[in-house]
Amino acid sequence: MMTIPRGARTLVGFIKKELTQALRDRRMKFILFVTPVVQMTLFGVALNNEVENIRLAVFFDSKDTVLRDIYERALAGGWFIPARVSRNEDPFELIKAGKADAVLLPPPGGFTRAIGRRDAPLQLLVDATNVTQAQAVENYLKMIVQDTIRDDLKIAAADSPIRFDVRVLFNPSLESSIFMVPGVMCLLMVMTTMILTNVAIVREKEQGTFEMLISAPVSRSEVIYGKTVPYVVIGMTNLPLILAVAMGVFQVPMRGSFLVLVLATFAFVCTTVAIGTLISTYCDNHQQASMGGFLFMFPAMMFSGLMFPIENMPAAVRWMAHLDPLSHYLGLLRNIMLKGGDLRYVTNHVAILAVMAVVSVAASFKRFHTTLQ
Amino acid sequence: MAIARKEVFHIARDPFTTALALGLPVLMVVVYGLAIDFNIKNIPLAVSDSDRTQASRRLVDTFVSSQYFLLRPAVSPAEAVEMVNAERAKACLIIPPRFEKDLMNGRSAEAQLLLDGADNSTVGPMGAYVGSIQTLASERIAGFDRPAPYELRTRFLFNPELNSRWFVIPGLAVVIMGILSIVLTSLTVAREWENGSMELLLSTPVEPLEIIVGKLAPYAVLGIVAQVFVFVIARTAFGVPFIGNLALLALGCVLCLATYLAQGILISVATRNQQVAMQFAMLTGMLPTNMLSGFIFPIASMPLLFRGLTAIFPARWFIVIARGTFLKGSGILDLSGPFLALALFCGGMILAATRRFKRDLEP
Repeated sequence: MMTIPRGARTLVGFIKKELTQALRDRRMKFILFVTPVVQMTLFGVALNNEVENIRLAVFFDSKDTVLRDIYERALAGGWFIPARVSRNEDPFELIKAGKADAVLLPPPGGFTRAIGRRDAPLQLLVDATNVTQAQAVENYLKMIVQDTIRDDLKIAAADSPIRFDVRVLFNPSLESSIFMVPGVMCLLMVMTTMILTNVAIVREKEQGTFEMLISAPVSRSEVIYGKTVPYVVIGMTNLPLILAVAMGVFQVPMRGSFLVLVLATFAFVCTTVAIGTLISTYCDNHQQASMGGFLFMFPAMMFSGLMFPIENMPAAVRWMAHLDPLSHYLGLLRNIMLKGGDLRYVTNHVAILAVMAVVSVAASFKRFHTTLQ
Repeated sequence: MAIARKEVFHIARDPFTTALALGLPVLMVVVYGLAIDFNIKNIPLAVSDSDRTQASRRLVDTFVSSQYFLLRPAVSPAEAVEMVNAERAKACLIIPPRFEKDLMNGRSAEAQLLLDGADNSTVGPMGAYVGSIQTLASERIAGFDRPAPYELRTRFLFNPELNSRWFVIPGLAVVIMGILSIVLTSLTVAREWENGSMELLLSTPVEPLEIIVGKLAPYAVLGIVAQVFVFVIARTAFGVPFIGNLALLALGCVLCLATYLAQGILISVATRNQQVAMQFAMLTGMLPTNMLSGFIFPIASMPLLFRGLTAIFPARWFIVIARGTFLKGSGILDLSGPFLALALFCGGMILAATRRFKRDLEP
């Protein structure tokens, strides 16, 4: 008959206790398993980098047919909605008061007549507080003006001799959810695992039960495994949940191997749980734990490449992006799910994550042992 | 007063928390300031030039000299696409063999440009540059210069240099206040409940209101300090202009802070457990403040339902006020809507918190 070593039995008991404790509170169960699904759905729908619903005001009189056509074409395209304005309002004030995002102003006498004179400055005022939006608005309107003039007056703005046939790979119809969902998955994975581990350990410290654990006949490694393994398990059970939402609700393709994704996620979750543990060794109460968690989460989010391209960062801080486990995991999610997984890229970055996991686990072990002395 | 002093001692005794509370805003402003740039540059571009003529080389030059792209040569179109797959390039330019010949014969010469659709942060800005590169290339290579009969003159108001930092940094204060006030207050009060020391406090002859105010005051101060700090850094280190009314910004800040503190109390009373309080604070405070407030992701782009939903988050209104006062110089009339909304939430949240607090005191 096979006997289970005593240490392993203690560990299993410990992990069971920890899981029961984490799941005992009905609200915690809800937070652990339902909220990731709800958040995934909410943010997948809400987050969008595209420019839509721009309120456009155009001042034209009834004889200015070309400008009227420009306005109608702009509204028909779906990017613009009419700004609710009355005539005789100062266009600058309109934008300042937030009643319009863009205003088109014809030259005196109307745009149509000015084109006849071949000297037709059309002024566009854009609210540039949001830079990306302002640039997109200028581009859209340029296109719309060019097309309208070509169709209305049959004066082609002379086809440019060089043209680009632009295609967007992996997301040809530019579905915003396909752009955003891998990023949201990455955020949810780090939030559930890192913060929960951190808080779980700090709670024992705060309540004083930690000292009890240490004086109990369990070894230190058992304590640390017992406190961390359950959260790795919880993190891994979240993966199929959010993946189901990604694929079921948002129709994000899964072109690569599921096994590789699980492997990458496992390395990532081990890293985040270890970082959570490491942070917890510096904290004595929940306040510190939450602040410590944010201190890691915010830069990690910023440098992950989710909101701002890593290529743009100044070289002096780009190394931070390479040290950020989120940037590697997000790269892997995108590569595996959308591109089917390039063998070299995936092996390299899973290896990097694995190294990060080993280093952070080792660091948290070391730190854990010294703080317990 | 004594309770406020106790809380101050409590915070001060714990230098780690103080350091974090003061260090976090510094770190965030610096990190945001450095990392944020929506304008792309240094994008690796895989180029497969099957034409190998003067015209095709000049086309590649146009891309490289724009500073937006870094050249990564590929031997074939297939290899160029493969480079995108392997994350070694974010876009490919594929020049067909007949490129120069087409150009000479007066046909329009077409090159293919493939963008990496897996990376949401670069695809939009890259698409926006294509038009201007096309015009530039036509001018430089084909000597194309036929003036259009019209001209679109764009004026970028309030941010003529199109500096993305001006967009993000004014709103940053609300994110920091969200952490300092919602999360920290909900935790500090939940801890008193958890330890049972809240009952003790309540049995003393101190008014419940005094307890609440005492517990909150230090965090209100922390929040205000953070806002002042963001303001100073934004003005000095990042050169963000401030052309509006400082009193308006301060009023918005105070209203938002009061709402957040009340929300923190409400969470702590409702949960009475630090672990759950923290999760709730994250879910109802931090995440919406970051994601649904228009701080980074524009509200106008959200589906109708969500645009309505964002209205219930005070951060959304504060960000309008912050951008309005910083960049646009908006006055009280322009901002009456956001102020009204903030005042409503502030009143409503305080009412809800006090009612819940009083009800829970009844045995």
